[in-house]
Amino acid sequence: MPGRIIEWIDQRFPLTSFVKHDLTGYPTPRNISYWWNFGFLAGIVLVMQVATGIFLAMHYKADIAMSFDSIQHIMRDVNYGWLLRYMHAVGASAFFFVIFVHMARTLYYGSYRAPRELMWWTGQGLLLLLMATAFMGYLLPWGQMSFWGATVITNLFRATPFFGDQVVIWLRGDYTVGDATLTRFFSLHYLMPFVIFGAVFIHLIALHTVKSSNPSGINLADKDNIPFHPYFTAKDLYGLGIFLIVYSVFVFFIPDSLIEPANNIPANPMQTPNHIVPEWYFLPFYAILRSVPNMVGGVLAMGLSVMIFAFMPYLDRSRIPGGARYRPIYKLQFYLFIVDMFVLGWVGYVPPTSQTIVIGQIATLCYFASFFFVPFISKMEEGWLLKKGLPAEVTALIEKETQDKEERKLKRLRG
Amino acid sequence: MKTLIKILLLCSISLGAWANEEAALDKVILETDVKSVERGADAMIGACHACHSMKYVHYRDLLTYGMDKQKVDGWRGDQPLDSAVMAQMSESDAAASFGKAPPDLSLMVKAREGGANYLYSYLLGYYMTKEGVPGNHYYPETKMPDVLNVSSIAEGASHSEVQAQARDIVSFLAWVADPHEQERLRLGYYVMAYLLVLTVMLYFVKKQVWSNLK
Repeated sequence: MPGRIIEWIDQRFPLTSFVKHDLTGYPTPRNISYWWNFGFLAGIVLVMQVATGIFLAMHYKADIAMSFDSIQHIMRDVNYGWLLRYMHAVGASAFFFVIFVHMARTLYYGSYRAPRELMWWTGQGLLLLLMATAFMGYLLPWGQMSFWGATVITNLFRATPFFGDQVVIWLRGDYTVGDATLTRFFSLHYLMPFVIFGAVFIHLIALHTVKSSNPSGINLADKDNIPFHPYFTAKDLYGLGIFLIVYSVFVFFIPDSLIEPANNIPANPMQTPNHIVPEWYFLPFYAILRSVPNMVGGVLAMGLSVMIFAFMPYLDRSRIPGGARYRPIYKLQFYLFIVDMFVLGWVGYVPPTSQTIVIGQIATLCYFASFFFVPFISKMEEGWLLKKGLPAEVTALIEKETQDKEERKLKRLRG
Repeated sequence: MKTLIKILLLCSISLGAWANEEAALDKVILETDVKSVERGADAMIGACHACHSMKYVHYRDLLTYGMDKQKVDGWRGDQPLDSAVMAQMSESDAAASFGKAPPDLSLMVKAREGGANYLYSYLLGYYMTKEGVPGNHYYPETKMPDVLNVSSIAEGASHSEVQAQARDIVSFLAWVADPHEQERLRLGYYVMAYLLVLTVMLYFVKKQVWSNLK
């Protein structure tokens, strides 16, 4: 009977072939490491955020007179409301953590290179959507940090040329962050995850066209690709177990460690907190914003610091595949960049002093320099490595890629 | 590389400077059993409730938690069980006498950097200034009077009594700020045990599945 039902469906909808082609039989490089688990984890966190969020929304009230109280209602009176809320709050941090590792892996192994540029760019779009969603969600508890964080960030849009002031009012729905801002942020915070789902779908379609990259950076022969199921279902589930252990430590034992104490004080527009800090995942970008003395410059620098990742496929001019694996200088650059991110994060966290401002400015320069110098360094490194000698299959791949490129060029010229 | 070393050096210097700025807080070990929390509630009602509210706590919550019915009835007087624990003094009266409305205490343990340790240190942080008025080491601008009489008592037996009282009050306020904490920790141990066993099993599943590969 089930066989007949599936047959009936298959005549009308490509169920079996879809499952075989894209789920169970999807060819995956056998040599990908645990760093390749994080895309799957990001998908799981997205589902968890939506699931907990839907139930939180049943008890939450988007009204400046009631929202802070309704969070306390969830925390105290709703059955397991505290669990839902802590899962959602910790989940936001988990989402960024997983995404940052996912991006770091892409950068390290050069997975953004051709033919995976669209994966990298759709991922960049997903990062922006995630940031917007997290930012709007942070206003909803209507605590002091919620209010002042939203005030500071919406205020940045004053940098828009010609009608900056109008843009700020348009975003807030009022002259200050108020009830109109809260209700629209709530509405959009509920909408965005579904937009993210759509973007994830596009990200996956691109993935299934170009297939996963792998640590060698070389396109593997068919025999080195293995079906997704059972190999990667087993591997991803084991990774999920590890992830859930870490996540649960935060949810059950230190849930308040990621919530600023000031956000347990209801928003008060008459009283600015001593020190406004964003959530940890925005700290490096916030540090860059503060490092530029001029407001418009700061906003531009912050925007560029997020968007600059998108240029990597063009900035990296080395033809050597595998990212840091075969490229010692690129590897060094990568680690320096990570260190720089931590320095920026720390600068963004501490109250600004003349000392931290200087450190922040140096770190900001290093941040942009590490992108700016990539084209030159990568080209020089390529020459040096080719002279020094590389594994045969790597050189073969470079030659083949160059040849393909030439052929495409010729075809275009003729065509 | 040189800039990196410079940055790291600068960081370590300023990290040190930053750490020194914070006044050291006294550490308090909170009590979590019903009897101690009830004692803290008693002390809190005696010392703080005249001015401070706890609007997210209802008298019924104290009963549900397991506190003595007679005590709760004594605290609430003629107010219904479902009413919130509001201050005895109105906010405007309090603002008139102290210059500032006393804050609600429901979330106080979570709303201050340092949490319970801060509140404990603050309650015990009163001292007699040279001018003969009480001051506070941890919050010099405070408008709150020295309710536990820390500044006027001598060292010794009575001091440890005050310390115990402050500890009870803070333990109670910690429960008030996070009434489900004990439940959360209990559930957390089960969840961790479950996940550990599950993850170990998943590890072996993964190993088994991958061993088929040549």
